Amino acid sequence: MLKSFLLRRLQHTLLLLTLVSMGSFLLLELAPGDFLTETTLNPRISPQTLASLRDRFGLTKSLPERYFYWVRSAAQGEFGISFAYDMPVRALIWPRMLSTLLLTATSLGLAWMIALPLGVWAAARQGSWPDRLLVLSTSGFLSIPELVFACGILIIAAKTQWLRMGGLPLAVCVLTPVSLPLLLRHIRAGVLTASGATYVRAARAHGVSEMRLWFRHVLPAASHPLISLFGLSVAGLLSSSLLVEVVVGWPGLGPLFLEAVGARDFYVVTGVVSLSAIFLAAGTLLADMLLYFCDPRIRMN
Amino acid sequence: MRDRIPLSLAVSGLIVLHGICLFAGFLSPYDPTEQNRTLSFAAPARIHFFDNQGVFHLRPFVYNGNSTRVPLRFCVDAHLFGVAAPDRIFLLGSDDYGRDQLSRLLHGGRISLVGGWLATILSLGIGVVVGTFAGFRGGWVDEAMMRVAELFLALPWLYLLLAVRALLPLTVDPETTFLLVTATIGVIGWARPARLVRSAVLEAKERAYVQVARGFGAGSLHLVMRHILPETRSVVFTQAALLVPLYILAEVTLSFLGLGLGEPAPSWGNMLAPLRQYHVLTSFWWMVAPAFFLVPLCLCFQVCADALTKSNTPC
Amino acid sequence: MLNKHTVILLALSSLPLLQAAPGSLEELAIAESDAGSYGGTLIIGQKAEPKTLNPVTALDAPSRDIIRRMTADLISIRRDTKAIEPALAKSWTTSKDGRVYTLQLRRGLRFSDGHPFDADDVIFTFQLYLDEKIHSPQRDLLTIAGKPILVRKIDPFTVRFELSQPYAAAERIFDSIAILPKHLLEPAYLNGSLNLAWSLNSAPAAIAGLGPFQLKEYRPGERIVLQRNPYYWKKDRKGNRLPYLDKLEFRFTGGEDAQILQFVSGGTDVLNRVSAKSFSALLKEKSTQGDKLVDLGPGLEYNFLFFNLGPVDPIKNPSVAGKQIWFRQTAFRLALSEAIDRDAIVQLVYGGRGTPIWGHVTPGNKAWRNESIPKPARSVPRARERLSAAGFRWNNQGRLLDSNGNLVEFSIIASASNAERLQMATIIQDDLKALGIRVQVVSLEFRALLDRVLNTRDYEASLLGLGSGDVDPNPEINVWLSSGASHLWNPEQKQPATPWEAEIDQLMRRQMIELDRNKRKILYDRLQQVAAEQLPLICLASPNILVAGRKSIGNFRPSIMDHYTLWNVDQLYFKYPR
Repeated sequence: MLKSFLLRRLQHTLLLLTLVSMGSFLLLELAPGDFLTETTLNPRISPQTLASLRDRFGLTKSLPERYFYWVRSAAQGEFGISFAYDMPVRALIWPRMLSTLLLTATSLGLAWMIALPLGVWAAARQGSWPDRLLVLSTSGFLSIPELVFACGILIIAAKTQWLRMGGLPLAVCVLTPVSLPLLLRHIRAGVLTASGATYVRAARAHGVSEMRLWFRHVLPAASHPLISLFGLSVAGLLSSSLLVEVVVGWPGLGPLFLEAVGARDFYVVTGVVSLSAIFLAAGTLLADMLLYFCDPRIRMN
Repeated sequence: MRDRIPLSLAVSGLIVLHGICLFAGFLSPYDPTEQNRTLSFAAPARIHFFDNQGVFHLRPFVYNGNSTRVPLRFCVDAHLFGVAAPDRIFLLGSDDYGRDQLSRLLHGGRISLVGGWLATILSLGIGVVVGTFAGFRGGWVDEAMMRVAELFLALPWLYLLLAVRALLPLTVDPETTFLLVTATIGVIGWARPARLVRSAVLEAKERAYVQVARGFGAGSLHLVMRHILPETRSVVFTQAALLVPLYILAEVTLSFLGLGLGEPAPSWGNMLAPLRQYHVLTSFWWMVAPAFFLVPLCLCFQVCADALTKSNTPC
Repeated sequence: MLNKHTVILLALSSLPLLQAAPGSLEELAIAESDAGSYGGTLIIGQKAEPKTLNPVTALDAPSRDIIRRMTADLISIRRDTKAIEPALAKSWTTSKDGRVYTLQLRRGLRFSDGHPFDADDVIFTFQLYLDEKIHSPQRDLLTIAGKPILVRKIDPFTVRFELSQPYAAAERIFDSIAILPKHLLEPAYLNGSLNLAWSLNSAPAAIAGLGPFQLKEYRPGERIVLQRNPYYWKKDRKGNRLPYLDKLEFRFTGGEDAQILQFVSGGTDVLNRVSAKSFSALLKEKSTQGDKLVDLGPGLEYNFLFFNLGPVDPIKNPSVAGKQIWFRQTAFRLALSEAIDRDAIVQLVYGGRGTPIWGHVTPGNKAWRNESIPKPARSVPRARERLSAAGFRWNNQGRLLDSNGNLVEFSIIASASNAERLQMATIIQDDLKALGIRVQVVSLEFRALLDRVLNTRDYEASLLGLGSGDVDPNPEINVWLSSGASHLWNPEQKQPATPWEAEIDQLMRRQMIELDRNKRKILYDRLQQVAAEQLPLICLASPNILVAGRKSIGNFRPSIMDHYTLWNVDQLYFKYPR
């Protein structure tokens, strides 16, 4: 049963990937200009040379032709050749993906480590002033545009020279507070809902200690929304940090992607987009699998 | 009843903030696009009641560049306050063109709020229709729609925005262009609300009274309109309260990517965008002024969303 | 400086002296600068990362910046004096008709991998650049009057270049043409994979050049590290072999603001170019006190407003076609130029660190600038007079009407990613209100903008900037020839559309084959005069070149020509450790 479920999910993912890559090609076609438009402005390059360069990059071919070239190339594991880098897209993306993952995994892990105990703690004191303060400050945090926040942290870091520019600690310091407030709110809400369950009230009536009550009884009851939330975190591993990476100068997919969008280096764009679609699918799959193993009710169905 | 207090406070806060932006023409002292090129990046004016000699004046005043006293005037020329020309009063300082930050802030609020609401209404509108349909019909329709939603979450929409921006005729004015870009974001953003509405619909569908109504032979349309949609109300309101500030903040990112509102019209996004420049952030702190408005506004929306959330629905 | 009939013996000039090191066959050049000390790593903040290390195919500036440190050319343009100096060619002679150049190569030189260098490498290099199948962007530069330069080997250290027609200042085209090692690249060339050779993923051992540095390490998206080339062909006055630095590290920081932050926090040593606003913020910064923050004065970049004067289909695009009736009137362009407050642009956009300009040759290019072209100050009354003389009038709301009673309004497109130009457009918008003209500023992403200007021609006016790579007029040729691809206001014409464009074409072509420097100057002066009378480009302002370097860097002599700070990287050294 698990096998057929996995098989169906795999089909979905493949379908999603096909649609995403096609959609990405179509959208690319919409944007005006191509990779060589900017080169036209170089007074030392003649129109004839430009035409032959366009030919070399295959920009004169039709959309379906280019798409099938890409699919063939993807099947060989290359995912097309980047115009700008003259290099297979896979070789270009791979090291940057690893560095993006290093950043997002670290800061998401950190965010979860802070948010989980803090969320439970706040939920346990619902309505008290520390709880209200926490809710209010998360709201405040959510109201600051993340780019402005990132720039502020950068300036502080540069002025005090506490953290090295472009280093991992600095990038984590920017990304963690950006993802923390939302996580905290969801965890608190999830735990609160679970705490209303009858058996929790029963446990409390039996005189179970508060600590034990919240971490042994309420938290498992809240596992359903928490696991979904975790799945979402995983799904966003590649896409959540793009802009922050650009601002702090982290050598991940973000700067590469934005530059490729600007340069119309469309095999690179399609490659990055397909990769984040894979993570999206993997995140939901992971959540479903975890639920399957954690929740006996789902296993029954 | 105690829980009602934050909600009513937040709602009245929202009304006040929207009202201020609505009456920007009267409340702001200057035309938001008027340049004073000699007064580039002027610091916020300080309002005095006591002059340099320590003498008290009933009418508040500011000092101009030559350290002469310039008294404030109230309710002149259809503006709440101002000073006699050629002096200028910049309560929140001026930007690089020497334009009054306060006037820009108030006028900019209009377009930012309109943009935020427009995108939210579009996202939610489409989200509710799709989510209800998918949840109610179930089966392959549901499956297909959720796949499309996934697709929408994954595609590189930046290109569509670039295309929308670039393919519009040049005669379209910046405000319209901006609203069209925002509307595009709103339309693209239907997937998340649709998923939430769908799960609310799925839940509602299983409720006993809905089942009973169906048993009595109620038509689909009737069921949806009378019983199912009302159940999604809490999700919709919560989402609205979350999405409006989200879309207002999205404008900052848009400006960062060069897709924000074009000059010379002001908006909170294009006013905050210069903050990523090193020299602005280190030398001209008053450029963060839109945040004085944005943060309370978002806070009010958040409080509303919290109060409206009956059940938790992690999105 | 060059006399067309003389044999140029650079040993006689004031430029670096040639002398064979006693006891060896190496003919090293001597650098004219303070003797430094060895060691240290210089860290440079680079906005974007290079895309390739292949000099034949590189299109983008970051790649060229880095390739330039790893390779050498035959004849260079000295960035500080803007004169030519011998590089790998120790001397050369020119034939009487100015068509044949015979270059003597330095003997005993080695590539960074130790392999000896001779004429075969030069022949091979030019074969690559000129091969049509490789599509090198340099090919056009080496093609004169439609015919590629012929390159012949005379002996292992003598090469002859034959041009199809005389070409003024032909030595300058050798600048930045990197000489490549035949032994490393020939296999790739023969099997047709040259375009993929020397990518960022190539092993350092596979790449060798004649530049001061060689590749050591590349970390994707993060940095590229170059190390000292032990075989470099220059020495200092004391006879020590250059370069002094052990390593050169380029850190990719992203945007300008990140670059400034890196410098302020001590992460990098050199800022190659900063905007005026960041520069003034840096001057106030405590942590950079004492560092070299240099304002080099006006550079070669010129920013300008121009109108769409090209053919526009009146059915497909009636509104632009209708407005071209105004744009094509010289009086209209002159009036607009007079109404623009260039001083305000310099003040607001560049914080005073810039120069208002009325022609495309900036004050930074003293050798070629025509000082006599008029520089009228802003005058709205004069502009209004000019407009009413041309049949324009004003309605009772003060809005400008043309002779047919249509409201005069138009849009200016500017690049969304260039805050400075966007600001200029906003200032112009406000300035033209005084003439009763309503202007719409449309910020477009750069590629979308260029697509409109160069391909679809669906625009009314645009604001752009061009930065000449050299002081010489020849690289500008495609901007001024009516058939040129970057003749922005009306590109790629078959026949010049107007008499003045025909005159400019003729002037440009004549100066190109004129070998007498003074006669060329007269021709180019006339070109600038015609341009100022007709104003196809309404030039606005030229920014100063602003750079920064640590106080510990010796021989730091930035120039207004690209690469501003690292052009003499072989001579840079640390006076004391960081």
